[in-house]
Amino acid sequence: MPGTVDTDDKILYLMLSRPENINAMNINVIKNILKRGCTPVIVSVNMPYKILARIYAKEGIDPLKWYVIDAVTQYSGGVCEPNPRVKYVSNPANLTDLGIAITEMLKNIPGPDKCILFDSVSMLLIHTPSVTASKFLHFVVNKLKLSDVSGIFLCVEKGLDPVILAEMSAVVDKIIDFEPEEKQAG
Amino acid sequence: MPEKTVIHALSGYSLFKAVFEKIQTGIIIVDSETHTIVDANPLAEEILGYPKDKLVGKRCHDFICPAKPGSCPITDLHTSIDNAEREMITSNGNKISILKTVASVVIHGKNYLIESFTDLTDRKRADDQKVILIGYLSESIHRVRRPLQLTSMNLQIIADQVKTGEFDPEEIRMELQIQKNNIEKMIKTLEELTESVTKDQPDISPEFRKFFAVK
Repeated sequence: MPGTVDTDDKILYLMLSRPENINAMNINVIKNILKRGCTPVIVSVNMPYKILARIYAKEGIDPLKWYVIDAVTQYSGGVCEPNPRVKYVSNPANLTDLGIAITEMLKNIPGPDKCILFDSVSMLLIHTPSVTASKFLHFVVNKLKLSDVSGIFLCVEKGLDPVILAEMSAVVDKIIDFEPEEKQAG
Repeated sequence: MPEKTVIHALSGYSLFKAVFEKIQTGIIIVDSETHTIVDANPLAEEILGYPKDKLVGKRCHDFICPAKPGSCPITDLHTSIDNAEREMITSNGNKISILKTVASVVIHGKNYLIESFTDLTDRKRADDQKVILIGYLSESIHRVRRPLQLTSMNLQIIADQVKTGEFDPEEIRMELQIQKNNIEKMIKTLEELTESVTKDQPDISPEFRKFFAVK
């Protein structure tokens, strides 16, 4: 199955795809994580919670099995409806609040099997210089390693310069190139 | 028209003098015992910004050479300098990069150091510009080109969502607003990157500077 990740071993992944496949990669990874009995926290700097919920529901993904840190609803002028499964951050450039939200969410989710799905590194780079983004991703990676939690960072392939890619490669355990099922078969 | 120097019967001192004054390399002759400058050619004067009479008789330490007394790379530390990148101090106190060779010679039984050097300032500036431009390109690709591809794809997804009729108008508005905000961010990023890459570039004409600054 494309987007296969092993959350049992608390591995950190950098998953790369073409721009047109990044949403398919997100859905595949979420399905795979849930199949393994792990609870995902989606850090979304691209899609508001309401849209994500609708898309996941369409894909048959149980709304009670995932959490989200939503950094774009307020940024879009939308209403941040209170929901125990959602933490809102004012905008994707607010890395301090994003970091706090990740820490709190990981602390509050019950059970040992949880993981972070960061969607996406490429979109984060709209809001913050690559040096700042790199420091923030290092912070998240360290937080995950210390908490013994898996992490999957989605990124557009060739969307990272060789320096950041080398830095990310040094801190993640695996880099996976995602190809959707129909392309693999063809 | 370039200045023409006619040299007759080139030999001995006159040959040395002609080469010393016309060569496109700075040359300084230093007494290796006292470390005082005994001569400098016109290009050395030009690079360092001192006329010869302000150079001759001065100790090279702390004056034109950043080395402290007692730590001369040649006479004290016994290292060789052969086409090595070093620094020199100019009359305005700035350190400039030079490519330097030092040779020890004995003239009339006395030891001298002949320091020959070329100014690397322009090459360094060109290298710095290259680094800035690569940084500019890298950030532009990171923060504009790839996100634009994602934004284009997002707009297609939103168009498809409208077609399905499953999404309410507020949801579509939110998604469109995110794309608009992101595009504005990308424009701002491009403006900031352009400003940072052009601000210290003396080679850019005022017309182009104005063109780059248009928002």
